[in-house]
Amino acid sequence: MTLKILTVDDSKTIRMIVKKAFKPYDCDLFEGENGVEGLAIANREKPDLIVLDITMPVMNGKEMLEKLKGEPGLKDIPVIMLTAESGKDNVTEIVKLGVKDYMVKPFKGEQLIERVTHLVKLKPKKADEPGKSEKDKPKRFFKIEDDIQCLVLPAALSKEIIAEVTDHLKTDMVKAADAGKKKLIFDLLKLPEINISIIKLIIMVFEKCLETQTRLRIIGNSKLSNELKEFQETAELPVYLTVEEAKASF
Amino acid sequence: MHEIHTLDLKEFLTKAISNVFNMMLSMEAEFIDAGFQAPAGNSRIVGTVSFAGNVMGNINIQVNDAFARIMTAAILEMELDEIEGEEEIYDVIGEVCNMIGGDLKSRLCDAGYLCELSIPSITSGDNYKIESKNWMRHESLDFRCRPHTGRVDVYIKPSS
Repeated sequence: MTLKILTVDDSKTIRMIVKKAFKPYDCDLFEGENGVEGLAIANREKPDLIVLDITMPVMNGKEMLEKLKGEPGLKDIPVIMLTAESGKDNVTEIVKLGVKDYMVKPFKGEQLIERVTHLVKLKPKKADEPGKSEKDKPKRFFKIEDDIQCLVLPAALSKEIIAEVTDHLKTDMVKAADAGKKKLIFDLLKLPEINISIIKLIIMVFEKCLETQTRLRIIGNSKLSNELKEFQETAELPVYLTVEEAKASF
Repeated sequence: MHEIHTLDLKEFLTKAISNVFNMMLSMEAEFIDAGFQAPAGNSRIVGTVSFAGNVMGNINIQVNDAFARIMTAAILEMELDEIEGEEEIYDVIGEVCNMIGGDLKSRLCDAGYLCELSIPSITSGDNYKIESKNWMRHESLDFRCRPHTGRVDVYIKPSS
């Protein structure tokens, strides 16, 4: 069964390092930026292991740990504490909190995994089963409704998802356009914020639509609309607030 | 408890910087005299953590933008053009400062100077000067990870 690992740290850098360390293994990674988020995710997901930073805003690691210990369903989850401080008093305090282990920053991902293996059984990720190739991977974000291609971006946009979307634009979108499906709805409503990767992706979609003579409609909020006006390629692109409005505009 | 003026802050900083750069960035830091340059117009980033308790102080790490980007790519094991934006860079510099500060804090605590560390903060831009006054001690350490240089400053004084 796939292990659930929760990493709680206000530093995105540390969360990314932890994620990379677990990447070769059959794990689902969850992330929290502080103790409040960490508790909410722990209650929801019941992880098999928590990697928990001490110093965080809103609720620090010690406070989160105390609350975990007070919850019958969560108190037995093994916790590895992360700390930037190696002093005697700090280590003694951490041990008293009842954590299974601790790591002092800086650390390498391999060192974390070595400690984790004493607490949970990590299994390497399975290679693709024979006969199953990349093109059989379910297209999570794409569908065709009648003659309209729909591309819906999820809330969390990882590099893998961007690569998947980019690949789709080069292959399946061209095929769909050749098959006469020359309308595309690009739904960005789930995105909590806009960054440079998303802007690049929107411009890529726009250019592909121009190339394949596909009519493009973007669904998003007013913030996105203002951001798109900053770029020459997308300044004239209207942004619709709902799928229905976008479909009606075709 | 050691007297503050006898604490070997330079040695503390040297070990902390070497450890962080070696472990997290796979870079060797070479310590140099007055090597860090911050000319006007050259954008740089400063990460700061403060500490307070029996002693008070600040630790700043300054690097120029280009080095900050290289550090970000190194710590996150990505190519330079994969860096999504400034927030990633700020987070990396903040975390590097946090780790150096944490190491220093541990040594201060072990020397009898109990204190707590703040969450890191970031300043960036060009054409500004950092000055911090009225401290008992100030140590500045320039380092080089070829071809780039950086500077770490620590300011400290007893609380009372």
